Amino acid sequence: MINSLIFMNGYGIFVWSSFIITFLVCAIVYYKTSKTLKKYEKEFAKEIEKLSAEQRKIALEKSKVASKVFSSYNKIV
Amino acid sequence: MYNFFNNSNIFVWIEKLINFINSIFFALLLAALSFALIFSPPDYLQGDSVRIMYVHVPASWIGLASFTCIALLSILNFIFKIKNLRLITKSIAPIGLMFTCISIVTGSLWGQPTWGTFWAWDARITSMVILALFYFLFIVSQKLISDEDKANKISSIIATVGLINIPIIKYSVEWWSTLHQPASIKITGSSTIHSSMLMPLLLMFLVIILYCALIFLMKYKTEIIRIKKKNLKRL
Repeated sequence: MINSLIFMNGYGIFVWSSFIITFLVCAIVYYKTSKTLKKYEKEFAKEIEKLSAEQRKIALEKSKVASKVFSSYNKIV
Repeated sequence: MYNFFNNSNIFVWIEKLINFINSIFFALLLAALSFALIFSPPDYLQGDSVRIMYVHVPASWIGLASFTCIALLSILNFIFKIKNLRLITKSIAPIGLMFTCISIVTGSLWGQPTWGTFWAWDARITSMVILALFYFLFIVSQKLISDEDKANKISSIIATVGLINIPIIKYSVEWWSTLHQPASIKITGSSTIHSSMLMPLLLMFLVIILYCALIFLMKYKTEIIRIKKKNLKRL
C-alpha cells in the first residue's frame, strides 16, 4: 500500500514532484505575504504610538483600521 | 451603500473572512489530498500520472481567470478611476503569476511520462508562457513606475493587450494541432471526465480557490494599511 503510494507504478517521481513544488511555493508565498502584513501592521501601530495623545485620539476615533491595528498590536506587546 | 464599500468596512470584513478561511482550510486540504493521491482511480491510459491533473488543472484555471479579472477591472478602472479596483488588481496579479508558473512546471512534469518530453513549443504551452510574461510586465509596471497615474495607465494597457491571449490559450488546442489534449471539462456541453476524477478535481480547485482568497485578502489588507499609514502622516 505505502510502496504503491510512493512509487505509483513508476510515475511517483513526477506526481510527487508536482505536488511538492505546488505546496512548497504556496507555503513560501503564504509565509512572505503574512510576514509583510505583520511588518506593515507593526510599523503602522508604531507610527500611531508616536503621535501626541490628542492626535492619537483623533486618529483612533476617525479610523476603524487604525483602532483595530493599534489594539491588536497592544495585545501582542 | 457607498459607506459599506469604504476601506474601514472592507478591513473589518477581510479580518472575518481570513478567520473563516483559516478555520476550514486544513480540513479541506487534507480531504482533497487524500482523494487526489489515494482514493481517486488511476487513468486507464495514463496510469497514476493522471494525478498531476489535480494540481495542474486548477492552477491553469486560476492563472487564466485571474488575468481575465485583472484585465476587466483594469478597463473599468481606466474608465471610472475607482481606486479600490487598482488595489484589487495589484493584489491579484502575483497570485495569478504564481499559479501560471505552477501550471507550466506541473504541465512539464506531466509531459515527460505522457509525451516523452518535458518541453515542446506547442501552441498551448507557448501561449501560457506568454501569459506569464504579461503578468510579469503588469507587476513590474506597477512596481517600477513611481507616478501612480502613469503606472495605472501603462498596466491597464498591458492587461488589455494581454486579454487577447486568453481566448488564444483556450482555443489553441482546437485551432492548431497540438500535443496538449483538448479540454475534458466543458461549462457548456458534456464533460468527458468520470465523476470519480471530477469530484477530487473540484475539491482540489475549491481548496486552491480558498488559498488564493486568503493570499488576496492578506495582500489587500496590507494595501489598506499602506494607504492609512500615508494618511496618518498628513495629521
